[in-house]
Amino acid sequence: MYTPYDINEAIAHRKDYVEEGLRSGSPVVGICCRHGLLLLTVRRSQRKIYEIYDRQMFAAIGKQSDIENVRLAAIQQAHQEGFERSPDDVTLQRLVGFGLSPTLKKAFGDQMYVPVVIRALFAEMGRTPSRDGFYTLNYDGEFRHFTGCAVISGTQVSEDKMMEVLGETDKNISIEDAMWNALTAWAAGARELLTGRRDEEDDLHSPLRVSDENAEIIFLKDELKTGALEVGLLERRANAEVRFRLFSEIELKPLLLKLD
Amino acid sequence: MFSSRETGGDLWSLLEQHGHPLTRQTPVHQADLFASPNTLEVHGTTVIAVKYDEGVLAVGDRRATANFSVMYDKADKVLSVDDYTLLAISGSFARAMEVVRYLRTSFKLFERTYLQPMSLEGKLAELTKVVRAGIPEALQGIGGFIPILVTFDLEANEGRIFFYDGMGARFESTEFGAAGSGSMQIRGIFDYIVKTKKPFHQMSRDEALQEALLLLDIAADLDAATGGWSKILPLARTITAKGIEDVSEADLRTVVNRIEQGRG
Repeated sequence: MYTPYDINEAIAHRKDYVEEGLRSGSPVVGICCRHGLLLLTVRRSQRKIYEIYDRQMFAAIGKQSDIENVRLAAIQQAHQEGFERSPDDVTLQRLVGFGLSPTLKKAFGDQMYVPVVIRALFAEMGRTPSRDGFYTLNYDGEFRHFTGCAVISGTQVSEDKMMEVLGETDKNISIEDAMWNALTAWAAGARELLTGRRDEEDDLHSPLRVSDENAEIIFLKDELKTGALEVGLLERRANAEVRFRLFSEIELKPLLLKLD
Repeated sequence: MFSSRETGGDLWSLLEQHGHPLTRQTPVHQADLFASPNTLEVHGTTVIAVKYDEGVLAVGDRRATANFSVMYDKADKVLSVDDYTLLAISGSFARAMEVVRYLRTSFKLFERTYLQPMSLEGKLAELTKVVRAGIPEALQGIGGFIPILVTFDLEANEGRIFFYDGMGARFESTEFGAAGSGSMQIRGIFDYIVKTKKPFHQMSRDEALQEALLLLDIAADLDAATGGWSKILPLARTITAKGIEDVSEADLRTVVNRIEQGRG
């Protein structure tokens, strides 16, 4: 049997294990705009942004198999609910709060299982723009609701930095501006993940420590050489069956040209 | 810890796990087979699908009946299942609506889970599954329904029509399909049109629409459960390479007027 001390220690160990696994994850930015909602990230090989249901999409960092399990669970739950009741009854509030969060919480607390390594960002388009929103969901079942914009990243410091860059968001901005804001926020977050790590290693001479205004752009260009930009959109279209789509490379070109 | 992987993107097994009534087999009792059909249900219809040069046209009357009563005269019997698939339904309206909802959700679940759209064969098999699952109830006089599936095959770049029997057997038709209580009365006319005028797939949309509406009018004359167009215009939808489109009321009205004038 565990004593209270043991539980604290066991949880701390599990937390360390998961946080370590999340630290290298490429951040994801969610942002509202006039056209709908965007999720933006820079991925390495695996696709990261997925459609969940008519008005919901999702992206996550963590272990691929864990992400896939949560994605599947969310999709199944949404479709079952949508069929048995109505698509209108499928909301992130229910999906995250009543479906996924308790399961994750249980998995995290259960010493018999390897912890689930995941941090997820869900986006939902409401009936009216004022009801658009985001949910972040953590490996321990903790979830938070955001409006306007939301981010997930490997560390808290990185997330804070991204939110700082995004600042006060105007929901009425154009899709181009929203993508640009999201991309700069992504760069800030990803750079923080790297420098944070360097700090730990006491490498004071790293070029990443240079606080040059152009450094962010240089860093971003460098990252895009090895990674691919991925943007998912939930389009604000009244009666369409499908609102989700991923941007094609050609569509993303104008955004990338802004970097030059 | 989460959902089971075996169910994956399959709505049927997902519903089965949770004991949804759609997937529950009703036992057939010998005595029920001789009982009179239940009278509470809404059915009786004529739905017609014909090819034309750009795709397929599906037309349905708007009358929903229960036995000898007209329950509703704005029923929509040509329903979109996805961007390129229409289901024209006849028989039990209640069951058909559930099947349409089932198919919509099932196709989406598959695509979202496996990140690729369900193939045409896969979609047809899904429809067979739900039609077949209804047999025990249909034998007892409730819930029987017969669909026509109309789709645009983007690979072959042509419209396709599939009709079903009550057991779930599926047949592909090269030119036309019809289902419902009024369909038997007009079956031969389709062949007459093809043999004396021209094949449906060579007609323009308006030519095909005129033939289809005329067929529907004859069905309404000969079948009490099929509504004509005197009160409410029928419903017509097309599927082409561009997707599903409603035939506007103005276009329908023009064709109806032309037919009525032709009669003199």
